[in-house]
Amino acid sequence: MIGKEEEMSNLRGKVAIVGIGEIPTARYPETAAISYAIESAKMAIRDAGINKEEIDYVMPTASLYSPAFNTELVTCRVVEELGLKNVKKNCQVFAGGSSSSCGLEMAGALINSGAASTILFVHSDKLGTGVDLQAGIDLFAASGVSLEWEVPYGQHYSSIAALACTRYLYETGNTPEHLAAVCVSNRKWAELNPNAFFRKPLSIEEVMASKMLSTPLRAKMSNMLFDGGSAFIVTSAERARDITDRPVYLLGEGGTVTHFVYSQEPDVSRFGWAKAGKMAFEEAGLSPKDVDIAEIYDSYPIFQLIGFEELGFCERGQGGEIFMRGDTWPGGKIPTTTNGGMLSQGHTGAGGAVALMVETCRQLMGKAGERQVPGARFAVETATGGTYMDAQVTILGTEIP
Amino acid sequence: MNVQAKPKPVPVISSWAKPFWDAAKEGKLLYQRCKDCNTNVFYPRIACTNCFSDNLEWVESSGKGTVYTYTVVESNPPSAFIQDLPFVIAIIKLEEEGVQMLSNIVDCDPHEVECDMPVEVVFEKLNDEITLPKFKPIKA
Repeated sequence: MIGKEEEMSNLRGKVAIVGIGEIPTARYPETAAISYAIESAKMAIRDAGINKEEIDYVMPTASLYSPAFNTELVTCRVVEELGLKNVKKNCQVFAGGSSSSCGLEMAGALINSGAASTILFVHSDKLGTGVDLQAGIDLFAASGVSLEWEVPYGQHYSSIAALACTRYLYETGNTPEHLAAVCVSNRKWAELNPNAFFRKPLSIEEVMASKMLSTPLRAKMSNMLFDGGSAFIVTSAERARDITDRPVYLLGEGGTVTHFVYSQEPDVSRFGWAKAGKMAFEEAGLSPKDVDIAEIYDSYPIFQLIGFEELGFCERGQGGEIFMRGDTWPGGKIPTTTNGGMLSQGHTGAGGAVALMVETCRQLMGKAGERQVPGARFAVETATGGTYMDAQVTILGTEIP
Repeated sequence: MNVQAKPKPVPVISSWAKPFWDAAKEGKLLYQRCKDCNTNVFYPRIACTNCFSDNLEWVESSGKGTVYTYTVVESNPPSAFIQDLPFVIAIIKLEEEGVQMLSNIVDCDPHEVECDMPVEVVFEKLNDEITLPKFKPIKA
């Protein structure tokens, strides 16, 4: 079944990311959300070294904190603020936390078809200072959670993550310390990431001593919401080679949608990662042992652990030990989630996975500074949206294998 | 936390699911069965999730199931649930019917709940209009 030509994106080696931008994930009470989009987009355009008038298509993904601001994104504010003169279409691409992967594949398909030549994908949101903590919990409890079948029972994002933790630990015999090890691993990277919010060293003991939210999920196993913005620029592989010596080629895309209502997910300790991963790796012609970096979507450690295992980086139930012993840390055998993830860089809504996409490119472009993985050529990046409704896997590389 | 207790969120009822909520008020847990292909369907749908038939009938569930997974919510819940802490959210597998649903486990010490524990349905009145199916452990 898997690997059939019609299941592949058919974009292998056809398009590339040539520019990235990101502002530090933080709290910016004094500045408006549009400025995060503008700053990130400007950085991405400068990073690509292109004339801004080459951009003919803008994809602003959604902002969650304010419907009014999101309407501005939909109604071309980014195009006008940047003074872009040759944009044919400004069209929102939004799939919750999967927006980055879905956006990249759609951008790639548009470019490959000839409908677009150079696409700016941009995210900005103000969930750190645009809403207060309890309002944030309430917003997310009703955001992608079924208003008929789950909200009346008190379902919210901590309980959603906790339900996956309980079943995973029950089936694998792992312990909450294994979940804490993921948080520690991500923090090791965030210590080296100037755009991350949480940069102080973290220990398993500290995670385990933090407040219990929903058993077995503790406060330091939970992401926090911040303000942020990020952007990337996609163009054809041919054009990319004119622009830069290190284009980041799209090599494989895999995806599967598994549920809308969380309780309808058939396996909350696996989700669809194995299937999506197989599709992406087969398209790329690579296997997990060929990739230098695993940029695995976290938001909570359980989802990073499951994604890591299901993609085939180790046997099921072994991931916790691998995170614990440091293989995923800076200098380790399989550097994982090298920006610190949403657990340490901070969660910005749809931007969590945009940040991860940007980080994947940054590493492959050799621009990751202190945390640069030496000689990185191939990386896998994952994303998931809503209540972990889908599994999206992207393989990127600086060469076409 | 200085948060005023908010009223509990009531289910936003789909018109086709009304028989489910009416039956819950009568102490019955319903699911749908497709009369064309025999697929059991939950939550209530407009059409069969297997064959798209709209020839769905309502069937009363045994109300017996097992806990697929659960969590004890101890802090930071949605504001309407702050006064309920700690409480249990669980995914219940209705074994005979082969369907899953989210609910709360009640009538027990929250920390006694375990995966694969047998449970049965109970009904909790939320207000005059809405009764929520919940579950309690079946004592051996």
